[in-house]
Amino acid sequence: MAALRGCAAAFFGALLCIGLWPALVPPAGAVDSQGGAVHLGVATCSGSNCHGASERPPGSSVSGNEYIIWSKRDKHHQAYSVLLGERAIRMARAIGLPDAANQKICLDCHADNVPQDQRGRQFQLSDGVGCEACHGGASTWLGTHISGAGHRDNLAAGMYPTEQPVARAEKCLGCHFGDATRFVDHRLIGAGHPRLAFELDTFTAIEPAHFVVDSRYVERKGRITDMQVWGAGQAMALTARMNALVDPRRARHGLFPELVLFDCQGCHHPYDSLHAPQPTASGLGPGTVKLNDANAVMLEVAASRAAPAAAKTLNAHMLALHRATDADPAAVRREAEAVRTAAGSLIRPLASHDFSSADIHAMVDAVIALGNGPDGWRFSHAEQTTMALEAMATALQSAGAITADRMPAVRKVLDGLYASFANESTFRSDVFAAGLRDFQRTIKP
Amino acid sequence: MIRRWGRPAVSVFAALLVGLIFGSAEIPAALAQTPVSPVQAQAPLPPSSGPATPDSPPDSPNDGVHLGVASCAGNNCHGAVEPFKTSRVMQNEYLVWSQKDQHSKAFAALRNERGLRIAANLGLPDAEHAELCLGCHADNVPANRRGPQFQLSDGVGCEACHGGAMGWLGIHISGVGHAANIAAGMYPTDQPLARAERCLGCHVGDDKRFVTHQIMGAGHPPLGFELDTYSAAQPAHYRVDKDYVERKGQPNDMQIWAVGQASDLKRRMAALLDPNNAPKGLQPELALFDCQACHHATDQLQWRARTSTGLPPGRLRLYDATAVMLRVIAGRTAPEIAQKLSEHLLALHRATTQDWQAVQREARIVQQAAGELIPLLAKHDFTRDDAHALAAAVIAAGTSGDDLDYSAAQQQTMALGSILAATKMLSFADEAQVKSLNDALGALYDAVASDQAYRPDTYVKALQQFAAKLPQ
Repeated sequence: MAALRGCAAAFFGALLCIGLWPALVPPAGAVDSQGGAVHLGVATCSGSNCHGASERPPGSSVSGNEYIIWSKRDKHHQAYSVLLGERAIRMARAIGLPDAANQKICLDCHADNVPQDQRGRQFQLSDGVGCEACHGGASTWLGTHISGAGHRDNLAAGMYPTEQPVARAEKCLGCHFGDATRFVDHRLIGAGHPRLAFELDTFTAIEPAHFVVDSRYVERKGRITDMQVWGAGQAMALTARMNALVDPRRARHGLFPELVLFDCQGCHHPYDSLHAPQPTASGLGPGTVKLNDANAVMLEVAASRAAPAAAKTLNAHMLALHRATDADPAAVRREAEAVRTAAGSLIRPLASHDFSSADIHAMVDAVIALGNGPDGWRFSHAEQTTMALEAMATALQSAGAITADRMPAVRKVLDGLYASFANESTFRSDVFAAGLRDFQRTIKP
Repeated sequence: MIRRWGRPAVSVFAALLVGLIFGSAEIPAALAQTPVSPVQAQAPLPPSSGPATPDSPPDSPNDGVHLGVASCAGNNCHGAVEPFKTSRVMQNEYLVWSQKDQHSKAFAALRNERGLRIAANLGLPDAEHAELCLGCHADNVPANRRGPQFQLSDGVGCEACHGGAMGWLGIHISGVGHAANIAAGMYPTDQPLARAERCLGCHVGDDKRFVTHQIMGAGHPPLGFELDTYSAAQPAHYRVDKDYVERKGQPNDMQIWAVGQASDLKRRMAALLDPNNAPKGLQPELALFDCQACHHATDQLQWRARTSTGLPPGRLRLYDATAVMLRVIAGRTAPEIAQKLSEHLLALHRATTQDWQAVQREARIVQQAAGELIPLLAKHDFTRDDAHALAAAVIAAGTSGDDLDYSAAQQQTMALGSILAATKMLSFADEAQVKSLNDALGALYDAVASDQAYRPDTYVKALQQFAAKLPQ
């Protein structure tokens, strides 16, 4: 898995380096739900006999080098320092703030911004998105954890269950899409914040993951597949998206809806003939601004194998939602709520569905077939499709459906797909479609 | 594109602008619109009536019968290869139009690959039979006002601008003089206000014709227009010489520019207030907004703080490039109205972040201010001092950093071209000065040649170089 995920890491890495990404921090709500546990700070985890080991400690069930991976390779640890850079300061000033590094609006995702009374003596805001931003404040469970009790005991004591697809989705999406209190709106984007691109399974891998799924992992945490993480991630992402669409605080700003919920490249393209639109499957005419529906489209594919009836319902309400955007704000709300209900009903089923290799092959074909319509490939769909295919290839490899010797060829094709949308201004639907045909050939059973 | 003196770079820009319209690539101006009048059943030809006025667009009944381009193009009329020695006009007007003027290709553009694709994207069987397209891509008068030689395929022909000739052709051929032609019904295109009304009816739009964002999304180029520059860039099929001045008066490019800007803003506000363009669902009519506010690569941030809009980042911005130019013009000619315009433009921008009622309220006030300016500007005597002051104010709009959006740079460049044209024609500067300004203008046109390649820094440098060459 690590080897395969090199492609996505290379692609998104470049974006991450310039601060493309916001960080993961527990939502205020999640912090509260942990009963206000104190965050002790990265220093309490990084001892060389704990998670800062250069070699696996004898008898350890984990690698022991988690801190090293995080501090050297994981951008989460630079989440705070990016706020001190020239770009962040420029952004802050554009929205009328004196700086970024002292602002709640920034810190809530660029650091582990728990209230003062939940910061332990070794806690440092400048650690960025550190261990406890994801795993939860350790004051209640560090003792149990160090004692070598099992994973379940850690969870029972308050550690956050990041291995569970739904819990992981909730934690990551809180920043990588937004939640009730944190949201990168179009004002921030216009000020210079990068757009948020996210797919749970791919981004878990390219962090890079500081865990290895081996027999000891499965023994302690159960068998969790890439397809479950992908599927639940899409259902959660769409739920979050619909929450934002109906949230009055994210609703219309004067004449305009919250633009960040729309497809970026629907507007951000040069207006030359290359981009003149074809008739669109969304049911909207040319020249209308279209909601970003890439999560919905992926979710329909996942649901078509695990819950076909729900997939149909979702599809009908998404079409109605698109049509409502240039007709009736009340219908937008109604359809967004229906889509949210449909997506919500899919979260648990997808998180637990046992996708067979046949399911995965069928989903590969279904995802690739998305480009057969008159619209060709939209940039946002191409991005989610590529990440989905990467998750699917990883899942097929894990299931033993693709042998290791075939993976380099798969990886090469995926590299080509990432490269084809590296520059959104020069993205070409036909070039991307050709790459997909290569992928289909390479992955054939 | 023909280079007209004083406007060298029009060639660069116009290739961009005009070529795009009916041709190939990318750009602005254009003729697209909405239905004009329904084609009526054959009826007796109505008598032609009195003089056309700015209130009588080509499709109005008192515009009379359109006889067709063929009735003007004779080689002893306007299709002569060489000017007649005794003639007061070039006589080659038809040749200029048919060979160099994109208006002659307006109808053909509906049949080319792009025209067909736009029609298909709009769900139309074709473009050449669609009222929506013909309203500006041809002289689409009702059938009962088309003479025997009239051909829709002539595109935007002589009578689309000069009016149906039935009522005045006899007088015109008899050579009695321009005033008599006008009295008989010829459209007074030489008058700035009349010209503005005629050109802007398509190049901005009117109550029947408007290039919506749906049409642009289907592939129609955006419209960018400035009356004086586009008069020159057609290219003009007339020459302002002694005969011209004697018959039609001394034209002043600054006045044509100024009246054009006021008419532009008035029309833009009318479009904003048109119930057809009211927001639908979550979507406002995007054609009224600044193209590059959205149509830019996401790694080329466009937002910069502007005191004249007060808008935060990430918001769409109404197209206000012509409004800003009008504010500059009014600042020199009618300071009280300029103040009102300035306040209410700011309020209008703010209103777009509030609600539709506020937008409508402010748009009405801006529309009224623009309307008040039109007659004042049409009368104003634009002097040498005006030329200096207006050039300085246009340049300051850019160099102050407040107006450096692409659309603003485009309008500033065309404005300086118009001021320079007046400077040359009215001898406000000596020949060497004019030549050096003309060269500097070329650099400005280069800087605004492409919206995607536009960089404010390069543009500001070109502005500063132009400013340095202005006569003190």
